[in-house]
Amino acid sequence: MTTTSDSPLAVDFCGLRFNTPLVLLSGCVGFGEEYTRVAGFSNRDAGAICLKGTTGAARLGNTPHRIYETPEGMLNAIGLQNPGVDKVVREILPTLDFTETRFIANVSGSTIEEYEEVTRRFDDSPIDAIEINISCPNVKEGGVAFGNDPAMSARVVEACRKLTNKPLITKLSPNQTDIAANARGCIEAGTDAFAVINTLMGMAIDIESRTPIIGNNQGGLSGPAIKPVALLKVHQVYQVCRDHGIPIIGQGGITTAEDALEFLIAGATAVGIGTALFYDPLICGKINRGITAYLERHGLQSVQQLTGTLALNSPRPARTCC
Amino acid sequence: MTSHKPHRDTIFLEEAEILSHEAYAGEQYILRVQAPLCAERALPGSFVHIQCDRSKPLRRPISIMRASAKQGWVDFLYKAVGEGTRLLAQRKKGELLSMLGPIGVPFKLNPERSIPLLIGGGVGMPPMIFIAETLAGNPAYKPMVILGSEVPFPFKPQPSSILVPEMPEGVIASMPLLDDWHIPSRLASLQGFPGCHEGYVTDLARHWLSELSMEARTQVEIFSCGPHPMLEGVAKLAAEFDLPCQVSLEEFMACGVGGCAGCVVEVETATGPAMKRVCVDGPVFDSRTVFPS
Ligand SMILES: Cc1cc2nc3c(=O)[nH]c(=O)nc-3n(C[C@H](O)[C@H](O)[C@H](O)COP(=O)(O)OP(=O)(O)OC[C@H]3O[C@@H](n4cnc5c(N)ncnc54)[C@H](O)[C@@H]3O)c2cc1C
Ligand SMILES: Cc1cc2nc3c(=O)[nH]c(=O)nc-3n(C[C@H](O)[C@H](O)[C@H](O)COP(=O)(O)O)c2cc1C
Ligand code: FES
Repeated sequence: MTTTSDSPLAVDFCGLRFNTPLVLLSGCVGFGEEYTRVAGFSNRDAGAICLKGTTGAARLGNTPHRIYETPEGMLNAIGLQNPGVDKVVREILPTLDFTETRFIANVSGSTIEEYEEVTRRFDDSPIDAIEINISCPNVKEGGVAFGNDPAMSARVVEACRKLTNKPLITKLSPNQTDIAANARGCIEAGTDAFAVINTLMGMAIDIESRTPIIGNNQGGLSGPAIKPVALLKVHQVYQVCRDHGIPIIGQGGITTAEDALEFLIAGATAVGIGTALFYDPLICGKINRGITAYLERHGLQSVQQLTGTLALNSPRPARTCC
Repeated sequence: MTSHKPHRDTIFLEEAEILSHEAYAGEQYILRVQAPLCAERALPGSFVHIQCDRSKPLRRPISIMRASAKQGWVDFLYKAVGEGTRLLAQRKKGELLSMLGPIGVPFKLNPERSIPLLIGGGVGMPPMIFIAETLAGNPAYKPMVILGSEVPFPFKPQPSSILVPEMPEGVIASMPLLDDWHIPSRLASLQGFPGCHEGYVTDLARHWLSELSMEARTQVEIFSCGPHPMLEGVAKLAAEFDLPCQVSLEEFMACGVGGCAGCVVEVETATGPAMKRVCVDGPVFDSRTVFPS
């Protein structure tokens, strides 16, 4: 789909223009070119593409099996297989066509120093924005994910913020008690935007061998199964972001235009598509068309008018019966 | 910036109509679908990524057994082993299957090696049949096919009309379709099926290779697909006889187009170990890189 500047689908995201509100999610589309193998797929159908999680040194990733289908979703434990930031910046970025869409780096690490190193390298590159994947285990704190702890999350954001003026997107984990508190800390630490949510941790077991199916024992759950959780988290984070004008890329289980619209209404400015691409590689065109039809039906000129338009019910306070 | 990107637009999403769907013993099925874009470009070793059913939307990889570019159909042989393939088995003639293909790096024939030895085990037979069909009537190659199965073969084995003096006495059963193409084949199984070698495909292949003249042996290249332990045996055999060998591997897949790195296998490269994607870096690999001796 080619969109013009007055396209109803175009959104402004931290000063970047996205052709459409769709963002292809990190880990699902390699380093930006993989899906173009499919005839009919175009990077132009997405407003932005998040590249695979990138670390300081190259990583081989986890032992197989790395993925497994579960009811209404899937588990994955890829283990951040990537060629290292230097190779990504020097060899991969120059092959990408930045006229087609915006490209967002996904910065990952085991230590704050590694997050810093990767951010510094991407800052000095043509990448359009930097997403910090704080769901990685902190090796210095016994392997607890940075993102599960508000203080550690803020420390990563603060460190990266010092090293770049590019739009900085913090990707929040659902595997924590108070996502809104975490978001507040990340805003204070200087984040420009949020991605909400990363995968929920899960497991699947082979009952014959009595071993976990995933080589890494546990993996991240994605797909429609996590959509209601993701929607609530977007709603909660939006309450914190609204007054700061901080945009959210809502994600988790979106497979239809209706799903995408729910996320926009809950408070997202853009919406992520990950697992749905595995189901249907040409899904973006369909979702874009579905959103356009909805805007027409509701007499809206721009998809941006939808963000955060959720009108909450007023539940009655709890009452005892009789 | 882009210039020419040869990988673009090489895989096609089709709503493929089921033309026939036959059940065989051992929960094996032969499926024919109308998928002209895939049929036109399919090569031996290519596979498709099929959505077995809307209720289980993650696709399942299945190798292409035969393809008619002219008539637009593609054939598969698969075994129902789990939820996805069992749902696929219920799909009826006339229904549409969402299919992504053809995918993968195919087998490569080497003009310097005129005797391709094709070894297929179970539902690893399809790519071997595909290679054989492309070689039918080609005087430059003299292939030999060895197929193994521990459930009844999904075809009616028949005594071969093609003599293979290097085969053990009594091992005469063959796949009729291959006989029709004038390609010699022999069968192996531990189940004692008549006319079949009672043992592993690798034992039968070792016997055949040992009986070949030294000169003929230098012309052999092995191509194989089947269960992992069988491929390990085939790789060992190739190393024993110092023969080049290409194997088609399996791993669970999500995207099927190189995007998720979910389907990797560990491969030896010049610069050390690497994780390669079975979907787009394979499924065909040099056996020495995946089974280093
Ligand atoms: C490139 C490629 C080509 C293939 N070609 C064929 C073919 O021509 N015919 C055929 O019958 N099968 C083929 N397979 C295997 C087929 O994809 C699996 O049998 C199928 O995905 C199982 O799905 P399921 O939902 O029925 O099983 P699940 O319920 O997911 O699992 C059931 C069992 O199948 C095993 N399994 C699951 N996925 C795979 C997989 N991708 N490979 C191997 N085992 C798996 C699991 O270990 C489990 O024991 C191929 C696989 C690959 C990667
Ligand atoms: C195979 C796979 C790999 C992923 N890899 C990454 C990654 O490297 N970095 C990251 O921040 N998120 C990663 N994710 C999470 C996704 O980007 C996304 O947040 C999540 O899957 C939820 O969206 P979905 O339900 O639409 O897939 C990965 C997800 C999948 C399925
Ligand atoms: S299945 Fe996604 S990279 Fe191979």
